[in-house]
Amino acid sequence: MEDRLKNLKKSIEVDRFPLCIEKSRLLTESYKTTEGEPMILRRGKALENVLDNITIFIENDELIVGNAASKPMGLEFDFYAGLWSRDEIEGLKESGYSISADEEAEILEINEYWRGLNPNRRMGQLFDDKVWAFMQSGMLLPPWKSKEEGSGGGYAESGMGLGPGFFLMTVDFEKVLTFGLNKIIKEAEEELKKVKADNSDSQEKTDFLRSVIIAHKAIIRFAHRFADLAEEMAKKESNQTRKKELERIANLCRQVPAKPARTFYEAIQSFWFIFLLTTPSPVASIGRFDQYMYPFYKKDIESGATTDAEVLELLQCLRIKDMQINRTSGTVARQKNAGMAKWHNMTIGGVTPTGKDATNELSYLILDAIKLCPTPHHTVTVRVHEGTPEPLMLKALEVVKIGIGMPAFVGDNSYIGFLLKEGVAPKDARDYAMSGCIDAAIPGKSRIGPYGMFITTKVLEAAMNDGIDPRTGVQLGPKTGAFTSFKSYDDFYNAFKKQLQYFLKLHAAKNNIELQVLAELFPDPVRSSLVDNGIKEGKALLDRTMPFENGAVMNPVGLVNVIDSLAAIKKLVFDEKKVSTEELKAALTANWEGNGYADMRRMFLAAPKYGNNDKEADSIARDVYKLWADTTVQFETRLGGRHKPTGVSISAQWPGGAMTGATPDGRLAGECLADGTVSPMRGMDRRGPTAVINSASKIDQVPYQAALMNMKFHPSALKTTEDLRKLSFLIRTYFSQNGKHIQFNVVNKDTLVDAQQNPERHKDLIVRIAGYSAYFVTLGKPMQNEIIGRTEHEQAA
Amino acid sequence: MTGGADTKGVIFNIQHYSIHDGPGIRTTVFLKGCPLRCFWCQNPESQTLEPVIFLNTERCTGCGRCVDVCPERAIQIIEGKSQTDRNLCKGTGKCAEVCPNEARSLMGRTVTAREVFDDINQDAIFYHNSGGGITLSGGDPVAQPDFSISILKLCRDAGIHTAIETCGFARWGILQRILTYVDLVLYDFKHMDSAKHEEYAGVPNDIILENAKKIYHELRLPLLARVPVISGYNDSSENLKKTAAFIANDLGTDIKVHLLPYHRLGETKYERMEEPEKAVSIQPPDDSKMEEIKKIFESNGLTVQIGG
Repeated sequence: MEDRLKNLKKSIEVDRFPLCIEKSRLLTESYKTTEGEPMILRRGKALENVLDNITIFIENDELIVGNAASKPMGLEFDFYAGLWSRDEIEGLKESGYSISADEEAEILEINEYWRGLNPNRRMGQLFDDKVWAFMQSGMLLPPWKSKEEGSGGGYAESGMGLGPGFFLMTVDFEKVLTFGLNKIIKEAEEELKKVKADNSDSQEKTDFLRSVIIAHKAIIRFAHRFADLAEEMAKKESNQTRKKELERIANLCRQVPAKPARTFYEAIQSFWFIFLLTTPSPVASIGRFDQYMYPFYKKDIESGATTDAEVLELLQCLRIKDMQINRTSGTVARQKNAGMAKWHNMTIGGVTPTGKDATNELSYLILDAIKLCPTPHHTVTVRVHEGTPEPLMLKALEVVKIGIGMPAFVGDNSYIGFLLKEGVAPKDARDYAMSGCIDAAIPGKSRIGPYGMFITTKVLEAAMNDGIDPRTGVQLGPKTGAFTSFKSYDDFYNAFKKQLQYFLKLHAAKNNIELQVLAELFPDPVRSSLVDNGIKEGKALLDRTMPFENGAVMNPVGLVNVIDSLAAIKKLVFDEKKVSTEELKAALTANWEGNGYADMRRMFLAAPKYGNNDKEADSIARDVYKLWADTTVQFETRLGGRHKPTGVSISAQWPGGAMTGATPDGRLAGECLADGTVSPMRGMDRRGPTAVINSASKIDQVPYQAALMNMKFHPSALKTTEDLRKLSFLIRTYFSQNGKHIQFNVVNKDTLVDAQQNPERHKDLIVRIAGYSAYFVTLGKPMQNEIIGRTEHEQAA
Repeated sequence: MTGGADTKGVIFNIQHYSIHDGPGIRTTVFLKGCPLRCFWCQNPESQTLEPVIFLNTERCTGCGRCVDVCPERAIQIIEGKSQTDRNLCKGTGKCAEVCPNEARSLMGRTVTAREVFDDINQDAIFYHNSGGGITLSGGDPVAQPDFSISILKLCRDAGIHTAIETCGFARWGILQRILTYVDLVLYDFKHMDSAKHEEYAGVPNDIILENAKKIYHELRLPLLARVPVISGYNDSSENLKKTAAFIANDLGTDIKVHLLPYHRLGETKYERMEEPEKAVSIQPPDDSKMEEIKKIFESNGLTVQIGG
């Protein structure tokens, strides 16, 4: 067993990721034969062509089968986010991807076909001048280069579904595992019989149901192809153990996902086929895996059909399978989401729909699987409520200790509170799962469409420059007065409000345009049928209203920098009048350089900052977060709901910072913005983690669908069980105050070495050793070396 | 007024989410002033009652702004770097205020007990959830008894668990007054040989050991023994056996022992205080050594933990 996992782990370590063209070739081939047909049918047929013909393989030692691309660890070109140019492909080759010359030539040819289906061009047609200026400004990342190219470059991703990928949702896995796809096909066939030709939406429904039937039958055939392959391989296999495994795999793939899963092994295989069809997607959610898999686990354990050791092995295999689903994108978008970012989030713990503690044996085994197989994906989030057993918290924190940033913790109080406020029924609210990073989703009952990264510091700049973007000189927002004309903080804050209102309106317009274009061009019969009432509704995901309608969100990046800037302006410019508006303006334009501006910068750096339980800064934080939430919900979406405020920054704080000049919080031009949503600016939290939590608790997080908090610790703060218990109290206290989320970054040796060499990047790094705590970068070199030595040692232990 | 909320004192740090200074989530208040002068001291800036200037020469650019503002004219620029005449320096901190490079910082500030309490009390919810509270450390809280008492009283009244970390070198009357408001004592044992104790820490250990017995037997306060392990100075098996025997026999085996391996974090601080001649270089004990020492204490029936 150990050998199997060792080999599987090795199989995902590749020097260069192969870029694959088979999937887009098959899609395009089908598209060419279906021109003129309704899009939903074309898509079903295209998927059929892919699943029936794409190269499949079963790798040595694999127990769960179903590959995500036509080559091992490959990424298939995708066109839903835009076209691929020669330059962008060159860019990929330079950053660790490979493609043969022939295939490169072919993909550029396929590219040409997709020009007509280019979503950017279609969106560009719908942008008015104001939205177009907004899209170019980069206030909503990434900035658009042209209406044809969008932000430049499409996506290359693995996964067997149709996409588009950026839907944050959890499909109804439970239904597939329990009833099988045959049942869904049957439902669709029966519904089709009931369609009355004289109904207004009957044609749309007919096309949809036909597409669903085609797609699901194709998925079953896809599984059968694996069954055939496994049988064939079993015949040739000389190793008896592997032979038996392959025969078992063949049986699995004949049973699921067509028919109900009968065992844990069948259930996990069925899950994998369906999950594969919800990708390509960096945000496909695994949902509450410990809940819907539990009946299968329990039955098998009770009957003696399986053991915890076998379950643990399969859970590790699942982690490996998820590492096979990768994604890359054009150069600009690659910056927004650093690395091969993806958020295949598995949710464990929390309460059941009836409000009881949901923790079970699987919750623990899932954490054990991370410890044994600490791959960066899939990620795991622990739902925490008052009755969450302490052993689960301690086990989860044992995993945190490894230093791979997972699991994350989320508070049931705040999430369920949000959903109830949104009018969701209590039993559904209690059943929420993480989608994407940490956004609330209700399995099968909600989906979020395009997800934006809105750079709020650009709004602050507009408010300080009479609506002009100082980076480009373009009059981007309304004229709300020169900064020097403001007589009071309230005057200025009103200008900021007006600018925010204006830009969020444009953001809403862009979201609705994108929702429209995605609905037109990329309906997906698979995911659309695996949601609540999907068959009866008879509509694609973006053509219907969901039980919890959160189809579009607004996500602020750098709001903490805005808050700190407002706090400094209020105190130094308007309350104490130590600096005039003219002087501040000049200092910012000069990027705090020359003319005594360095001293002025120190004053602004020393002004109250969010994250220190400081009354003044925190009350501004509360106001600004409320303003964002209140403004967001004003705007309707074309899906029948309103925009929801959310808060995750991924890595948008870097490009967002690069586009923002010097800010009154003392930040230099181009410097990275604050990360997360309710985390303080790096190095500005001077009073430790409890003060950060006190500050964050003052923001009303309940109206938010997510609010990300990152915290860094040195491993010495998580050494003993007693330390973990204390951290658990810290988490529980935060959640009792309606905090939404917290995750811990346990620093490793490499980070410390980097901090020693590049102190400016690591101003926030706190190390605590033997009760002594200090900012790492302020320590002398011998001390730093000592700590680096210890860190290595403690993490090895 | 003794013990009032307006009582002033000097502190050099308040550390929130302190997890290695007693039970639960705590806030540790570091008070200035210490009756001992352990030459391995890891917080030498805490020894005097007065605030002291730290100078990080690596960051100093020799701009000279500190020179202009120093009321004592204690600063000069020599070979492009600022230097402080420590005999003249009164720790006003003016230089730290103007230093554009954060090369100078002031360790120590005067505050009232009420101000300290307000800061501590912000974390009340964490103490109550975790069984934590506050720990007065230093320096040593015995160096500012009235101030210590004032803080402890305010915490007691607010229902916050109180602990002090002390070397125990104080007149019994003073210590007893402080301990009236204390729930847990973290008590240091540095050396069992009084002459050695005097050589290394500046004072003999007789009062310290006597006080420990009184705290345990007369006041019956919960004690936690903290034993620093300083290679080559107090880590002989003879001394450690005596220490373990004292804790187990003269006090009791219900006392938990924390062995604190020496770490080098204090070694560069003397440079910052411009007294490099006082700096020591001691090798921290390795893990196997700590395990050996742990066994010595365990063989006396004590429960031992390595690290705070």
